[in-house]
Amino acid sequence: MTTAWLPIVWFCIIGLEVVLYMLLDGTNLGVGLLSLLPQSDKRRLVLMHVFGPMWDANETWLLIAAATTYGAFPIVFSVALNALYIPAMTLGAGLILRVASYEFYAHTQRTKHLWATLFGIGSLLATIGLGLLLGGLLSGIRMTRGHFSGGPFDWATLVTFLITTGIVTGFVVLGYAHMVRQSKIVSKKGFERILLYSILTFALLASATAVVPNTNYLFLSRWSDPRYMPILWSVVGLIAASTALLVYAIHKRDTALVPWLCNTIFIIGFFGIVVGTFPYILPPNITIFDAASSPTTQTFMLWGIGPILPIVLVYNYYISRLFRDDDSYEI
Amino acid sequence: MDVLQWSRLQFGDTAAFHILWPIMSIGLVLYMFVMEIMWLLTKQEHYYRQLRFWTKPFVLTFAIGTASGLPLAFQFGTNWSQFAQTAGDFLGNILGFETTIAFALESAFLAILVFGWKKVHPLVHLFSTAMVLLGASISAFWIMAANSWMQTPLGVTFSDGKLVVTDYAKAICNPDTLVSFAHMWFACVESTLFMMVGISAIKLLGSSPTETKGFFLSTFKFCIGILVVVAPLQLVVGDLSGQVVGRYQPEKLAAIELQWQTNASGTGAPLRLVAIPSDAQQRNSFEVAIPGALSFITTHDPVGTVQGLASFPANDRPSTAQAAVTFYLFRLMVLLGVLMAALMLWGCIYWYRGKLSVAHISRHPWFLWAWIVSIPFGLIATESGWMVREIGRQPWIVYHIIRTADGVSTGLYSAEVATTTLAITLMYVVFSITFVYLVAKMIARGPDLTSPLP
Repeated sequence: MTTAWLPIVWFCIIGLEVVLYMLLDGTNLGVGLLSLLPQSDKRRLVLMHVFGPMWDANETWLLIAAATTYGAFPIVFSVALNALYIPAMTLGAGLILRVASYEFYAHTQRTKHLWATLFGIGSLLATIGLGLLLGGLLSGIRMTRGHFSGGPFDWATLVTFLITTGIVTGFVVLGYAHMVRQSKIVSKKGFERILLYSILTFALLASATAVVPNTNYLFLSRWSDPRYMPILWSVVGLIAASTALLVYAIHKRDTALVPWLCNTIFIIGFFGIVVGTFPYILPPNITIFDAASSPTTQTFMLWGIGPILPIVLVYNYYISRLFRDDDSYEI
Repeated sequence: MDVLQWSRLQFGDTAAFHILWPIMSIGLVLYMFVMEIMWLLTKQEHYYRQLRFWTKPFVLTFAIGTASGLPLAFQFGTNWSQFAQTAGDFLGNILGFETTIAFALESAFLAILVFGWKKVHPLVHLFSTAMVLLGASISAFWIMAANSWMQTPLGVTFSDGKLVVTDYAKAICNPDTLVSFAHMWFACVESTLFMMVGISAIKLLGSSPTETKGFFLSTFKFCIGILVVVAPLQLVVGDLSGQVVGRYQPEKLAAIELQWQTNASGTGAPLRLVAIPSDAQQRNSFEVAIPGALSFITTHDPVGTVQGLASFPANDRPSTAQAAVTFYLFRLMVLLGVLMAALMLWGCIYWYRGKLSVAHISRHPWFLWAWIVSIPFGLIATESGWMVREIGRQPWIVYHIIRTADGVSTGLYSAEVATTTLAITLMYVVFSITFVYLVAKMIARGPDLTSPLP
């Protein structure tokens, strides 16, 4: 294997990590967002229970993605976080608040309401932070001589706003789908809510793709570039088809199909973003080849981390199976 | 305050808070692991009770540790972007190892450790506990490897304005790594066990039922049993760590010891116990010292040479204020370390004389109070040691390669960093208070000694 392929290999690995994180923790964040809605204490207890034993393993994918990005593409990690200071801090603060509140909720008696609220707020902050990060990245980052040279609010664009609200509603859908699967609490009202939120998500993210070209010219040219056009338009077609199928599944109350479809839509959407920007990783300046750390480092990391990832995946799956469909864990 | 100062404050603040939780996690899970092995080997109930009871605070420490570590990882990019970029070829890789191998291990197995009692075979459960301990320890290893490389950077070369790794073995196993990892790992165990003994002492002093007292007396003894090994070893490793500093970071040693002038050949450098440095005169305006002792400790030769602070260019070494801070924090750490070893010895003597029984021990309130007072000693000593380590390296972020001032992010405003610092600090304060309150409640309620055995 020549070293020229290394950046592509790492890009794929990190892409996989990000998708895993968005799906796994997106579900947990969605459960957190749902807890903000007014509801009975009993129902809230079910929500917190479903958040359950896997939050830590799920959240770890974000750290893995961040750390491997730092290792494989140091400039992306440093410049993106530097430029997106406020989004990154929002995400960080949200995640701490969420986890600490969750643990405190489990252990307190009289202050449960307070911690449940903080848990919801933490989840909301973290979700918003993620949306701002992704939106900020796609909006483009101003750089001079390898360093960030923009202002603190460069990420505040229309695209970012649309993506962020789209991710919030999208995570609500993921969370709801997960609740449906785990707790078997299926109400008519709940299904209507899923439907509403998934249509909202589709509308928001679709309009975001239509606006992106204004701030990131790369995307604009690709919609009409014959090399990318077929893929991009099939992505749009696939998402539209899956959403239509989702509407049908919700209508038919198919609890098994709904979560699968939600996840599929997320994955296709992410693939669309990659097609729209590859090989740029810090659009519109830096490609994955510019950003790559030295071949020695990328090789060393590949041998050190590469074989571990499948193992982590397998036992993560095993453990999540162990706790699936279960409402009797002993604490 | 400018962005640099706020960023330093933020990193110091979040790191000082974060480190408390991994310390307790490593210590607790080691204890739990020992108990689980004993339980499986002997099938004696009290080992199982120990394991289950101490799992409760462990879950809390682990969760807060995971959560509070995240902003720390982000800060490399958000606040120290230039440093992250210049040193990224090495540091990024090491942090990648830390999260992937170590952290992924502990996070997933934690679920089985905590919730899996009825779900998996006892050996699978033991394996999970072992994996959490191993994961947490490997995590500590990579963090120490990264930080040690910032102290004694080897195996890299400058190319195109960036550090590129030329020799991974040298960079990872730099002179500081192993000894610092050992020092930190022992610190985790010793600090946690001291807290556990102190907590048990509170229960033994109070008016709990005899069974509860018996339970905490077991904790008391098991912990002392482990401390007998750890506390003296920690003093030895600490001494080794000091020698690494003396050999590879002479200006840090000079700062820690407030040694302004290099001792003339044939004379020994004195070990100062108290000193007041004068920045204007570049010497100590007052000091109480043991003649020759510093030379002997650092070089194991009564007239060995110890370089003075004044022999380094003023802008390449810690400032006088920084030197004074490291001087006193270092003494605090050593004092606490020695006190802890002495207390451990006292515990052994009492144990040997048969005084460690529920009937006898309440007749020795002074003994119990000594342990109660020492609850925070380990944590304070560890925090002090870290501050000496980091402040003593100034003005460098990577020793003799990158200056701290050149590592900070571009395009940030003080207001941004100040706001996030205050917000995160506020959260941390609330979490700490809640944690102490919850653990106090767990302790007050005592162990569950009646639930069926698995």
